[in-house]
Amino acid sequence: MKKFCTPIEHVSRRAFLKGTFGTVTGGLLMNWGGLWHAAENVKNERKHCILLWMNGGVSQFETFDMKPGRPTGGLFRPIQTNVTGIQICELMPNIARQMDKLAVIRSMHTSQIDHPGGIHLMHTGYAATANIRYPEIGAIMAKYLGKEESDLPDFIKISSQGNSGAGYLGPKYQPFNLDHSGNLPPFSLSRLDPQDELRRHELRQFVEGEFAKKHKVETARMHQEAYEGVRRLQRAKAVFDIEDEWEKYRDRYGDSKFGKRCLLARRLIESGVAFVEVGQSSYDTHADNFTGHKGLLPPMEQAWAALLVDLEERGLLQSTLVVWMGEIGRTPRINNRSGRDHYVRAWSTALAGAGIKGGQVYGATDKDGIDVKDNPVTEGDFFATIYKAVGINPKKEHYQGIRPIPIAPFGSKVVDELLRS
Amino acid sequence: MPAFQPNKVQLLCDLTFEGAWPTTVAFLGSSRRLAAGNRDGQLFIWELPDKQTKEPPPPVRFLQGHTNGITRLRATRDGKTLVSSSLDRSVRLWDTTAPTTGSTEVVLDMKTREQEARRQRKPEIVTKPGVKVATQTAAHVFQVHQNWVQALDLSGDEKRLITGDDNGMTIVWDLASRKEIARWTGYPGNWITSAALTSDGQTAFVAEFCSRRGDFDRPPAQARIYDASTGKEKLDILKVQFPNVKKRDNSYGYATTWGKFVARGFVAADFSPDDNILAVGQGGETGTGKVHLLDSRTGKLIRSVSGHQYGVTDVQFSADGQFVLSAGRDTSIRICRVSDGKEIAKLGKERGGQFKDWFHAVDVSPDQQCVAAADIAGQVRVWRLG
Amino acid sequence: MRIPTCLFTAVLSVLFAAVSSGADVALRDVIDQEIRSVWQHEELTPPGPADDAAFLRRVYLDLIGIIPSYEETLAFLNDQTKDKRARLIDRLLAHPRFGVHQADVWDLVLFGRIPASNEARTRDGFKRWLVQQFNDNVPYDQWARAILKAEGNTVDQGAPMYLVQYERNPEAATIAITQTFLGVQLQCAQCHDHPFDHWKQTDFYGMAAFLVRLRAVSVGKKGRETKWVVAEHSSGEIMFTGPAADQEPGKKGKPIPPRFLDGSELVEPPLPKDFKEPRNFPSGKMPPKPRFSRKNKLAEWITARDNPYFAKAVANRIWGQFFGRGLVHPVDNLSQNNPSPFSGLLQKTADALRKHNFDLKWYIRELCNTQTYQLACAGPVTEAKPRWFERARVRPLSAEELLESWRLATGYDNVARRAGKKQPDGRFYGVTWGYMLRFFGQPDNGVGDFQGGLSEHLYLNNGELSQLITRESGGLYDAILKSTDPWSKRVERLFLSILNRYPTPAEQKKFVSFLTADDRQSDRLADAIWVLMTCSEFRFNH
Repeated sequence: MKKFCTPIEHVSRRAFLKGTFGTVTGGLLMNWGGLWHAAENVKNERKHCILLWMNGGVSQFETFDMKPGRPTGGLFRPIQTNVTGIQICELMPNIARQMDKLAVIRSMHTSQIDHPGGIHLMHTGYAATANIRYPEIGAIMAKYLGKEESDLPDFIKISSQGNSGAGYLGPKYQPFNLDHSGNLPPFSLSRLDPQDELRRHELRQFVEGEFAKKHKVETARMHQEAYEGVRRLQRAKAVFDIEDEWEKYRDRYGDSKFGKRCLLARRLIESGVAFVEVGQSSYDTHADNFTGHKGLLPPMEQAWAALLVDLEERGLLQSTLVVWMGEIGRTPRINNRSGRDHYVRAWSTALAGAGIKGGQVYGATDKDGIDVKDNPVTEGDFFATIYKAVGINPKKEHYQGIRPIPIAPFGSKVVDELLRS
Repeated sequence: MPAFQPNKVQLLCDLTFEGAWPTTVAFLGSSRRLAAGNRDGQLFIWELPDKQTKEPPPPVRFLQGHTNGITRLRATRDGKTLVSSSLDRSVRLWDTTAPTTGSTEVVLDMKTREQEARRQRKPEIVTKPGVKVATQTAAHVFQVHQNWVQALDLSGDEKRLITGDDNGMTIVWDLASRKEIARWTGYPGNWITSAALTSDGQTAFVAEFCSRRGDFDRPPAQARIYDASTGKEKLDILKVQFPNVKKRDNSYGYATTWGKFVARGFVAADFSPDDNILAVGQGGETGTGKVHLLDSRTGKLIRSVSGHQYGVTDVQFSADGQFVLSAGRDTSIRICRVSDGKEIAKLGKERGGQFKDWFHAVDVSPDQQCVAAADIAGQVRVWRLG
Repeated sequence: MRIPTCLFTAVLSVLFAAVSSGADVALRDVIDQEIRSVWQHEELTPPGPADDAAFLRRVYLDLIGIIPSYEETLAFLNDQTKDKRARLIDRLLAHPRFGVHQADVWDLVLFGRIPASNEARTRDGFKRWLVQQFNDNVPYDQWARAILKAEGNTVDQGAPMYLVQYERNPEAATIAITQTFLGVQLQCAQCHDHPFDHWKQTDFYGMAAFLVRLRAVSVGKKGRETKWVVAEHSSGEIMFTGPAADQEPGKKGKPIPPRFLDGSELVEPPLPKDFKEPRNFPSGKMPPKPRFSRKNKLAEWITARDNPYFAKAVANRIWGQFFGRGLVHPVDNLSQNNPSPFSGLLQKTADALRKHNFDLKWYIRELCNTQTYQLACAGPVTEAKPRWFERARVRPLSAEELLESWRLATGYDNVARRAGKKQPDGRFYGVTWGYMLRFFGQPDNGVGDFQGGLSEHLYLNNGELSQLITRESGGLYDAILKSTDPWSKRVERLFLSILNRYPTPAEQKKFVSFLTADDRQSDRLADAIWVLMTCSEFRFNH
């Protein structure tokens, strides 16, 4: 996809429906919530969230909870950070220089030890059940932080996991998925003349309307919502084209696909998107845990550090929460494959940005990293804290029939120490 | 020199080396002395018993200095000089006949002690005194590499040394002067996973890999032969195997095409004594790791031999060049005849559940009488041949 | 699991007594009665029965995986006889496409879109065989046993392909087999004793021990297909080293003897002293039979009439196929920790199915003839798979159903036939099959619920659909455009061909005005066809 113009002006959905837009081929238009306009809003009031998702379960021993000299310690060594007294893994020199922005939680204690359960848990705050479809964090953020009139989806996933989607919040908050290079899905470009497209669109709207009168079923509604999303997207496509910017930022973010995805995430946030999730896969290092992390962490941490600095320079860090986590931690014991297996009794996550008091480590594990020693943080506490950080009341309830479901599980406590007062 | 006779093999002894995984082993001068290192950077020398024994001797020397895992050991045939490469980024040169510098107490049977203490309900077993071992320090430390050093080899004439690190840098050294002869870097982002020198030290083989496997943006593996004096590339082996593959194509299809040949990287390499054949071992966790025997002049595959379920860890030719020995992730040493690829002997027995313990490294004694394996379960296994 | 055998037999005999006393009550009536009483209890008022057009399209898609043609639609709607629905069900059960569609459904159950190993990527032999099983109405226990015994090769016989995909992976085979054929979820017990269920790690490895000796051997080729044979060693054990969190080097591992899920150990004859196991089975040569086949013992135990899980698992799975959710949901989790208000009904259907010797056509006929299945898809319930079966379920069409139905609706194959053109091999041509699989292959959220995504609409809007809207003679487009009928009639034909129903007056009016608004009729007609092909009504079976 090549750029067509620099979008500077905001065209609302209403304007679009009135047909006040030009054609792609004609070189004009399709606008997408103008950059500067949106960026200003963003700075002033609205909060955002970027989730960096380490799929498969990144190891706490190879990142934030080093156990040098212990049998569980592994092959890497701690390095100093820019915060006195805090050491992290040598594989993360760039993040070590941004430690003052980070709040690391070394005392995660969660309930789901396998991938599907863990992915659900750490995307929703809840263990999966048969009867309730819990929304992912992205859908909640989209609902409460999203902008009604935006052309861009408010819940965007770039090469990431989790398939709970919007859950009971409904199709409006379904994720929009980009591939591992940040590309739009195939067939994103319409070859039709917009007038012709509008003509057939109107007939289709009529047919859908007739069907919906008789069929109240949610799947049909989801189908139609997705169709609407596609039409809106037509106007917003330019924002996804980051080739020009990538040339400038490649060295900073690191020449990796994860780096490119992080740059795209920053750009989407800047354009007003409420929530962007960026995934990196292959952390499930049952075998060759050390070479695995040695391959995966450097490009990840360089991009992560660059993202924090870039957001800060643009004045966006104070309004953008950056969450870093996988679905599980990894075992203290090193198995006979030089690997570490799944472990949820004691592991680490990290937060930065909006609402977060950086430069700290919260909680601690024992000398071998087997159990949480101080201040355990459950999945519920973690999610309650995240929501509080961006100004969403974690106790707010949604109703499923007559059953109230709080945004963070009942009984979760916000970890105030992690938050800026 | 007596011939290498793999037909009759008997276990001589298991040297206790518990704690971190024993990762590498090298005989010193004969079949009577050997050195072995582990993942904590501990490096010891043992004197081996004459006869089969169930009471393994303790080490006689503790070579102190490394602070992280030892990756490879190479020794001169007289056993006097030992070289070790390490995750601590250093390469150390040891004079194994140098006077000792002191002595220290070490415990190399902690796992056994803990088991015994539990079994006999006598916690005091754990805190029993260890053994006194004489210590020494390195004659020289090569402190140039800035990342893990996983590749190490000594030329057949024992004049040159090759080392390779995880920043993709390879260095050829003059052993006597300890000076660099040449250095070069490989594909950006790659790690040097193995390296080998020919008998005259003029030619080098270097293999690269990186397990940045997420999202297909891993750089391609490499396997090349270089002029060791200049670092000039002489042959791109993967180019020979896959003439149609583009240089920087990191698509999934590309990775799978190469994956069949390199598995998860060539982690071990050795030139045959006549330099005609290059043996490389498919490492990382893979279905069945093979040893490829390649024509070292053309890069063409002669045959693939051996086969360790889950991967190869080390490869070495016998001194007569007739056999290739490999260690692997199936708790075995396999000895194959080079001429027809037939597996002549298998030492060791699978141990574990779905996945097996590794033999992390193999070495044949200079007199061809013994084979040793570094067993990750905490021992160095020594077999006598013939 | 250790069910006390005596208790289990007692329960079973009570149940058998119950069923046999009501032997003359058809299963369809048992189902309707039970479901109705649940509605009463839950105070639900379901809508009335589906109209003929809705029923017609639903049952075509469910039984033969394609919409009815224009002619078939008209014929059924005009049929005035009272038992026309029952006769239609019988006709479709006897249709050659019945096996084709059911095989599509089961192929997905057994292999998924991405099979467990590359060898199973092409499995035409398996599919041919499976189609045959359905069309010949081979009893389910027989063909399930054939899959698990895996005799013959994957091309001439077909069935072995299922186990070929799990070669040297007894752990994955154990998870898949227990889940698919028994509705038992053992996967957690691979790494640790199950936290909620009663399964222990040793249960898992006891089952895996039946499968650890299997190897896939290629014995030749036929055309492009490789003939694979499932070989079995006579020795070799599964080694168990305890929970995953405690793994470390130096663990000896202990061999776990094969043990069925009911706790009984397999009795094996000892191997002769001088027996020498072949190291491997050379390809190109038929491997020898093992001295004693563990795999066959497992196949027999799983498919035995008195297996406590087998009949329930298949009865529930097929129920789910026709009613959206299983009587126990999800369909492959019959654990005691997954209770269901319908577990009594499931027991009854399973017993009846067993009594009918696993006759699947009989079972499916009973399901399709229930009033419950034939309910309208209306009312206030928004769930796609209503919890109390109080409305017809709504399911997305599979990639296979979509493509073949689109082609039928637009007359794509007709055009080729008329022009004497030969179609490409296979069933999936007209558009790129890879895209169909990508956008419509697995449209769910991982637990089987439809999840709308933008990407399928990008394909529908900007993709290859125009290739299917053929404008040549013999196709729908040409027939409508060239017709001399008034436009209201032509719109009728459009609806009957694509949505298999008459348009409402409002729809008729709107479409006529759309099609006649200006002189760009030819473009507008293509638009109208596109709209009906991509709308929700087409996308789902309801």
